[in-house]
Amino acid sequence: MNETVVVLTIAGAIVAGTPLALAALGEILTERSGVMNLGIEGMMLVGGVFGVVGALASRDPWIGLVVGALAGIALAAVHAALAVGLRVSQIVSGLALVIVGTGLSSFVGKIPEPPLTDRQAVESFHRLFPPTLVDLPAAGPIVFGHDPIVYVTVALVGAASYYLFRTRAGLAVRAVGEDPATADANGIRVALVRLLHTCAGGALAGLGGAYLTIELTGIWQDGITAGYGWIAFAMVSFSGWRPWRALVAAYVFGALVNLSFTLQIIGVNVPSQLLAVLPFLLTIVVLIVISARQASARKLAAPAALAVPYARESR
Amino acid sequence: MRARRLAVEPRGRPSLVSRIVFPLASVIGAGVLGAILLIATGHDPVDAYLEVLRSGFGSDLTIVRTLISATPLILTGVAAAVAFRMKIWNIGAEGQLYLGAIAASGVALAVGESLPTMPAVALSLAAGATAGAVWASLAALPRAYLHTDEVISTLMLNFVALHLMNYLIFGSVSFWRDTERLSFPSGRFIPETAELPEIWLRLHAGIVIAVIVALFVWWVLRFSTWGFGVRVIGDSPATARYAGFGVSRRIVSILAVSGAIAGLAGAVQIAGTSHALQPGGLAVNLGYTGIVIAAVSRLNPLAIVPVSILIAGLTNAGTALQAQGVPNDLLVLLQGLALLLVAAAEFFLANRVRIVTRPLPTLETAEAA
Amino acid sequence: MDGTGGTRIDAGAPEPDHRPNPPFAELRAISKSFLGVVANDAVDLDLRSGEVHALLGENGAGKSTLCSILAGLYRQDSGAIVIDGQIHSFHSPRDALAVGVGMVYQHFRLVDPFTVAENLALGHPDARRRLSATALETQAAALAERYQMPLDPKARIWELSVGEQQRVEIMKLLHRGVRILILDEPTAVLTPQECETLFRAVRAMREDGKVIVFVSHKLREVLDVSDRVTVLRGGRRVGHLATKDADGRGLAAMMVGRSLVLPERTDDADPGQVVLKVEDLQVQGDRGNPAVRRVSLEVRSGETVGVAGVAGNGQRELTETIVGLRTPRSGRVTLNGRDVTRASVVDRITHGLSYIPEDRLHVGVAAGLPLEDNLVLKSYRSRRFSKGPVLSSRAVRAWADELATRFDIRGARGLPIGLLSGGNLQRAIIARELSQRPEVLIAASPTRGLDVGATESVRRVLLDQRSQGTGILLLSEDLDELEALCDRILVIYEGAIVGEVTAGVFDAGRVGLMMAGHAVA
Repeated sequence: MNETVVVLTIAGAIVAGTPLALAALGEILTERSGVMNLGIEGMMLVGGVFGVVGALASRDPWIGLVVGALAGIALAAVHAALAVGLRVSQIVSGLALVIVGTGLSSFVGKIPEPPLTDRQAVESFHRLFPPTLVDLPAAGPIVFGHDPIVYVTVALVGAASYYLFRTRAGLAVRAVGEDPATADANGIRVALVRLLHTCAGGALAGLGGAYLTIELTGIWQDGITAGYGWIAFAMVSFSGWRPWRALVAAYVFGALVNLSFTLQIIGVNVPSQLLAVLPFLLTIVVLIVISARQASARKLAAPAALAVPYARESR
Repeated sequence: MRARRLAVEPRGRPSLVSRIVFPLASVIGAGVLGAILLIATGHDPVDAYLEVLRSGFGSDLTIVRTLISATPLILTGVAAAVAFRMKIWNIGAEGQLYLGAIAASGVALAVGESLPTMPAVALSLAAGATAGAVWASLAALPRAYLHTDEVISTLMLNFVALHLMNYLIFGSVSFWRDTERLSFPSGRFIPETAELPEIWLRLHAGIVIAVIVALFVWWVLRFSTWGFGVRVIGDSPATARYAGFGVSRRIVSILAVSGAIAGLAGAVQIAGTSHALQPGGLAVNLGYTGIVIAAVSRLNPLAIVPVSILIAGLTNAGTALQAQGVPNDLLVLLQGLALLLVAAAEFFLANRVRIVTRPLPTLETAEAA
Repeated sequence: MDGTGGTRIDAGAPEPDHRPNPPFAELRAISKSFLGVVANDAVDLDLRSGEVHALLGENGAGKSTLCSILAGLYRQDSGAIVIDGQIHSFHSPRDALAVGVGMVYQHFRLVDPFTVAENLALGHPDARRRLSATALETQAAALAERYQMPLDPKARIWELSVGEQQRVEIMKLLHRGVRILILDEPTAVLTPQECETLFRAVRAMREDGKVIVFVSHKLREVLDVSDRVTVLRGGRRVGHLATKDADGRGLAAMMVGRSLVLPERTDDADPGQVVLKVEDLQVQGDRGNPAVRRVSLEVRSGETVGVAGVAGNGQRELTETIVGLRTPRSGRVTLNGRDVTRASVVDRITHGLSYIPEDRLHVGVAAGLPLEDNLVLKSYRSRRFSKGPVLSSRAVRAWADELATRFDIRGARGLPIGLLSGGNLQRAIIARELSQRPEVLIAASPTRGLDVGATESVRRVLLDQRSQGTGILLLSEDLDELEALCDRILVIYEGAIVGEVTAGVFDAGRVGLMMAGHAVA
């Protein structure tokens, strides 16, 4: 097997997995605070379209990313208001936001002239490391050859992990997700924590969507996220709500997504639907396996108060 | 000094009037929002809404078209409602519908020629329902016995089903393919004997089936012992177990029933509308829309029928509106906003919110007490 | 035994000339209602530093509500909270904690999967960004030493006993420097010996000048440990006085408004056949540990057998196995001679087993469903209510009317049953269980959290059933109740039966020692 193919696959997996990692990381933060946000797909979509629009309008991909993140926050804020403020069913609210996100992103996507579906002259991100490092065999493309967002993502994962498990604020967040009544009795502002972390989740999902359109594809198309948001949602579960595991899972899925190209290169012909199906099948299998292993210990690592609305003045 | 604050008090049990008024108010609210959006994008809302009425419900033909579109929605709505009543979040109606379509068209193609209409149709519908039930069981069994989250598993199965369906038509030359037009991938037409008969103009019998299913499910949930079990388990699985209900078995059976109804939706689409396995015509979010409808109808099958007809009318009107320059995406957006508003209304239905003023205590007033 | 509740402990009398300091905190004319039900009606309370102030009243009198208001969990409808001469308006427990008011609730506010040290760190004002594990542990160890409450800071909460968990709760508040410490029914979950340890700690805190508000319905403890006592009844304050001026009878009269005698056993049992037999039962707990270790017991018809023990010693697993919600690793359960070890819950119900669970609200009833549905939870399949698959709502409603009258269940009919009071909930559960005409009745902590009126009716029901020939297995932490109702009492500790006492020769001290695991000759 050609060594370059392996190297390219791994490098490609990292890039393809980055939007997944961002969205999953966001949802980890949200779910750790006890809120379930099914609307990730919608937030990635609006992040995607607004990201491209922002990048084009400002001729700066970084601005595009920021705009995409803001779009994600806007949708997430609605979810937070409904789920936390009005204690609405989080499943219904999340699904509604996917629908809103789909409609809104399609609508906005058709406005600009010339259409966004044509490849745009969106400025790419500059590579971070000098060519001498990038040209190193094997390690070069895999470690050094990426755009800055890949490294930012890794940094964010590390920061989130540190935040959740090594700071007082993170402890408070986890307490809110496990036992909001206790957190409340300890003086922690449950509603505020949930609101902030839901919005943070939306920002990261929007960021992931924007990265997808700006860097990975360079165009916008209806439904370009193709179920990424749902996979990110699933990844949160089977990474045990831990950021580093989610990153690794994201890269694995990135590899699966890129598999079709890899297989084409080495000359294996597999129907496209089979490849498209693999990530989803894998998700189900992994979930079942995890449940089976933990069924005896009955400890499913999910924050105990996930998706359960909290109301203080209840009897 | 006075302090004003919002007091939120749970209502014991909302009256029948409120249960209709509040959701209705949010739908009207969505209509208002829609009008604002239309104005903002340079369209005349009055014109647009009139067009909706005209092309959704204005003539016999449009009513027929609306009812045809409403048929699968009623079924997916009821499918979602059944599972949600027991707090089993079946997001997989979409995929269960595809499987139902695949099974129904497969059976129809295989035996349709050699059987008279009644048994042919009955067989393919039964096949569709069974396929939907089996597909749902893939998520139901892990949920019941391993506590695997059904939200994710049913969702993932949707995508698997979609790609399976695409594979059958676009990715291979399968039994379902129309072999006469190989360069233009499409599904083979089922024999005429396996089609649902038309009962009025182009309206096929599927609508009758859908309404009967809705009524039956309503009756079962409300008046049967099985429905009683759904109520108890949905409220408190721990209590249900204590009282002797076989909760794990019930979880499997309710997901299977839900999947069967969604599968039936797919089968009805094949036998009544498309007469062939055409992924393009089937993959139009019928399952997800059904969930939306179920939520708006507060999980009541009786309400699901009119709501489905309404949404079907709006969707059909959308095509006409597009000719007028109103983008379809706007309608999708509006549908999502309406759902959000209805969900929000649920809060006000369950709670009474009042503005409470009370005098802030000062030392003087406190002394006097 | 004067039926006033509470175990006799020798915790030492308060010092004779302990003079209270000037008022330091006051609750003035506090009123609060929930859903139209008045919980507090213009209640006054004044607290002085360096005192143990008891808040006495039966269950439902409004004590917990008043304290929750003082601790910032609820907001009063009217009235003022004055601390150090300043009016305070608490919007959350955080505000109250900031002023130095903290509460140890009946249901602990601890995060189960976290460690002791993490729970201490939660919401602490000394908020340094980083959370070094060692720093937390040293802090925790220092506190444990200072107040003489030994604790392992690395232990996870779910691993600790209830008494130890309570210590964590108290430590949390002391760590934050609270000046007013509210303890809500702290001894409900402790053995007599653990109570002593608690009271010693309470006295130490009093020496430090803190105010300890001690909520209880047990007269004995109040007389033993407090300096002043305020009595609540029906949401109103009906008395406040120095403890040295108070006596048991007077306080009881204030609490209940009439002279109080709770029903108890008057005759010896005439036990018949064995109706329930448990042989050599071994059951695994949820965490893979052995929860029930070779337990054998028998209940005969017409006798009430009690099981005394602090919560968490295997009672839950034992009852779940007898009832059919859990499968044992080995051993047998027999009902009237029939082996039901592997039988389903439904089978056991059909063969005459009824069960009043400890958790009324989450297991005993489906809280969101109305009374009528709950009353037929186990019997809905019988011919009286259903013909084939059809459930007759008329028959169900008629049955509900009948039971409500017979058992005095009060509360709006169509509403979710969860809105009913604890007493009515329990009456509904009892109505349902007894309407099955059981041969064996298992009751777990049946009067916990109930007011005197409800306690009275539950006791009466259990005594009636006993005289009608039902075999009753009564699990409880309340030794007075066990002594009043049971013919024999078994003591369970760490999953094993460690002793048996017959009613006539009951010795609370001895039983208490057995409950705490001390071998008794």
